[in-house]
Amino acid sequence: MTKFYWILAMVAVVGVAAVGYTVASGTMRKTATEPVEVEGLDNMETLVAMARGVSKGDPDAPITIAEFADYQCPGCGAFTLTVKPQLDAQYVETGKARFVYYDFPLVSNHPYTFLAARAARCADDQGKFWEYQNTIFRNQSTWVTKQQPQGDFVDYAVMVGADKDTFEACLKSDAHADVVSANLRLAYELGLDGTPTVMISMGRGMARRLMSFDFQSIQKAIEDLMAESAAPSADSASAAGA
Amino acid sequence: MVIAVLSLAGFFLALYLLVSKLGLAGSMICGVGECETVQASKWSMIGPVPTSALGVVGYLGMLGVAMLGLQPGGLRSRAVSGLLLGFSAVALVFSAWLTWLEAFVIRAWCQWCVISAILVTIIFVAALFEVRRLRGGSEA
Repeated sequence: MTKFYWILAMVAVVGVAAVGYTVASGTMRKTATEPVEVEGLDNMETLVAMARGVSKGDPDAPITIAEFADYQCPGCGAFTLTVKPQLDAQYVETGKARFVYYDFPLVSNHPYTFLAARAARCADDQGKFWEYQNTIFRNQSTWVTKQQPQGDFVDYAVMVGADKDTFEACLKSDAHADVVSANLRLAYELGLDGTPTVMISMGRGMARRLMSFDFQSIQKAIEDLMAESAAPSADSASAAGA
Repeated sequence: MVIAVLSLAGFFLALYLLVSKLGLAGSMICGVGECETVQASKWSMIGPVPTSALGVVGYLGMLGVAMLGLQPGGLRSRAVSGLLLGFSAVALVFSAWLTWLEAFVIRAWCQWCVISAILVTIIFVAALFEVRRLRGGSEA
């Protein structure tokens, strides 16, 4: 009987140690599913440095198209899947514009949007941001209904060719929570109140917020902006000729 | 004795699944299968209760009954072993249902769930033998 209690005690010790280690281990950090406190964001310079968008296209392109979006917002999904491919084809891939995506996770209405934003950033670590974003938006109606969408996010990462273990370790941590939180703060500081928000700017000029974000409206806004920036040079040319 | 040891091991296994489900542990250690997929499925919750919590309670119950049966003073009775057999039979059916879900509904395997199913099966067989042994002893 004494031997039995020794075996029982050994099983108890191993069990307590294993579960205790799992919970306490540094590699088992709690998954960040909502915005985190980031020091220094009250300072605009720090905020701008911290709030990094994900960029696509020529960094020296004259036009910048910026989007602030939420992964649980159906309009953002429609924009990404229908309008953005046209912008890519006409402006980004031709070197006329670069596209920058900023997270604007409206966590009060959308419980999984922050995690989705982090998931996309985890995919970005492996150079798979844009395909992952498309996948997550394409499957939006599926994962938003889940109680725990983490498994779906991992599946989507595998679908786009990301390394599963690396992605999973990233998702199950607090990686990128600071950048996504900073992006959210930036959106509020800019006075944005809805998603998607699309802005265009030329060079270092002021960004213009677009009220319509169908392709034709954005196209017109870009053409107008380009025409306006070309106008002063025409004036100076005529002045030089006079 | 075997039942008590296996129940204690099963308790810690279910506890691990529970802390993972509650987000108290990060990535699951999962050498074989797709533990995260199973843990993220809707079957990992029964109403508001994590399925693994039922495992924790079930194993703890079987451990308690098994320890009761090991006490001196006549507690190692047919009634106690019968109770253990009933308890483990319920656990076996529940475990079989979860294994069926993994195979045909979720289509993903969690190694810890499979190990738990094996533990429950051994506990049930051991309880069955114990009942038969006691019955044989009283008939002799």
